[in-house]
Amino acid sequence: MTVSAEWTWWRVALAGMRDALSLPAWVVGFGLVGIGSLARDVGYPVEVAVLSTMLVWAGPSQVIFFASIAAGAAWSAIAIAVGFASLRFLPMTVAILPLLRRPGQGVGMQLLLAHYVAVTAWTEGLRRLPHVPPPQRVAYFLGFANTCMATSSVGTFLGYYLIGALPIPFAAGLLCLTPIFFLASLTAGLRHRGDAAAIILGLALAPICDRFIGGGFDLIVAGLIAGSIAFALRPKKVAP
Amino acid sequence: MTATITQPIAWLDGPWWPYLALILFAVLPTEIWRWLAVAFSRRIDADSPALEWVRAVATALLAGIVAKLIVAPPGALAAVPLALRVGALSVTLAIMLFDRRRVLLAVLAGEATLIGGAYWLPAI
Repeated sequence: MTVSAEWTWWRVALAGMRDALSLPAWVVGFGLVGIGSLARDVGYPVEVAVLSTMLVWAGPSQVIFFASIAAGAAWSAIAIAVGFASLRFLPMTVAILPLLRRPGQGVGMQLLLAHYVAVTAWTEGLRRLPHVPPPQRVAYFLGFANTCMATSSVGTFLGYYLIGALPIPFAAGLLCLTPIFFLASLTAGLRHRGDAAAIILGLALAPICDRFIGGGFDLIVAGLIAGSIAFALRPKKVAP
Repeated sequence: MTATITQPIAWLDGPWWPYLALILFAVLPTEIWRWLAVAFSRRIDADSPALEWVRAVATALLAGIVAKLIVAPPGALAAVPLALRVGALSVTLAIMLFDRRRVLLAVLAGEATLIGGAYWLPAI
C-alpha cells in the first residue's frame, strides 16, 4: 500500500498495521505459539512467556532460552548461546537504522526502533521502507512492528494453554512450526553459496556436536565451526 | 530424555526468579546487540568481512537450532517418528528451493505433512 507524504502519523501507522496483517504478522504470530508451550514445559508462568515475546522479540533466542532450561544447561551457557544467536541483530540493525534515521532523532527513539529488529520486521522493513516517504517511515515501521508483536503475544499466550489440550498430531504440528518457519525464512534469505553452506553445515553439525560436546555449549561450537567454514566458502566480492 | 531442568541460582531464587532469569539470560544477551548497533551504526560498514562472518555464524546457529528441535524435539513433537519430522522439514525445504517467495505455502505444506502423517500413521 502506498503511503502519501501528506498523511498524518496515525494514518501512516494504520497503513503499516494493514501491511503487517496482510500476512507477516500472522506468520510470526503462529510461529511463536510454540514458545508458550516451551515455557509451560519448564514450569514458568504465562506472563514470562508473553514477556519473552515482547522483550526478547527473537524467536530463536526464546527457543534456546526455554529449551536449554528444559535440557538442564548451565545459565552461563544459556546466556552465551542466546547472545550468539542474537549476534545477527548487530549487522541487521546497522543495516536498517539508516532507513529510519531523521534529523534530530534522539538516542531513545533509535533504541526503541532497534528493539523491533527481528527476522520478520527486518526483512519486510528493508523491502517496504524505501517506498515510504522518509518523514513517514518511523510511524509506518512502528505500526507494522507493533502489530506483529501484538499477534505474536496473543500467539504465545494461546500456545501456553492450547498445546496441552490439543490432540497429539496438532500439538506436534504447533511445536514443529518453529523449526519449519525458521528453515523457510533462512532459505528465503539465501544470497549465495556461503549462506547455503552455513545452513547445510549448521543442520548437519548441531546433532553431531550435541552428541560429543556437553554442558550446553554444543550449539555455539556447531555454529562457530559451520559459520566459519561457510564464511571461507563465500564468493569473493567483485570490486565495484 | 528426562533431564532435570536448569535450577535457579540459589541466592537469587524466589517467586520472581523466572522473570529475573528472563531479563538476565534472554533479554540482555539479545538486546545488547541492538543497543550496540545504535551506538556503532554510524561507524560500522554494513558490508565489512567481520559482519559477514557474524552473519554466517548466526545463520549456521539458526540452522543448528532447527536440527536440534527436529532430532531432540520438545514435548508432543517427540511422539511423532523422526522420519516424519525430517519428512515435514524436507517438504518445506523442497518448496522453498523451488520458489523462495512461497514462505507461507512451504510452511503450510510442511505442517500438513507432519499433522497428516501423525494422523495416518498407526500406533502413535
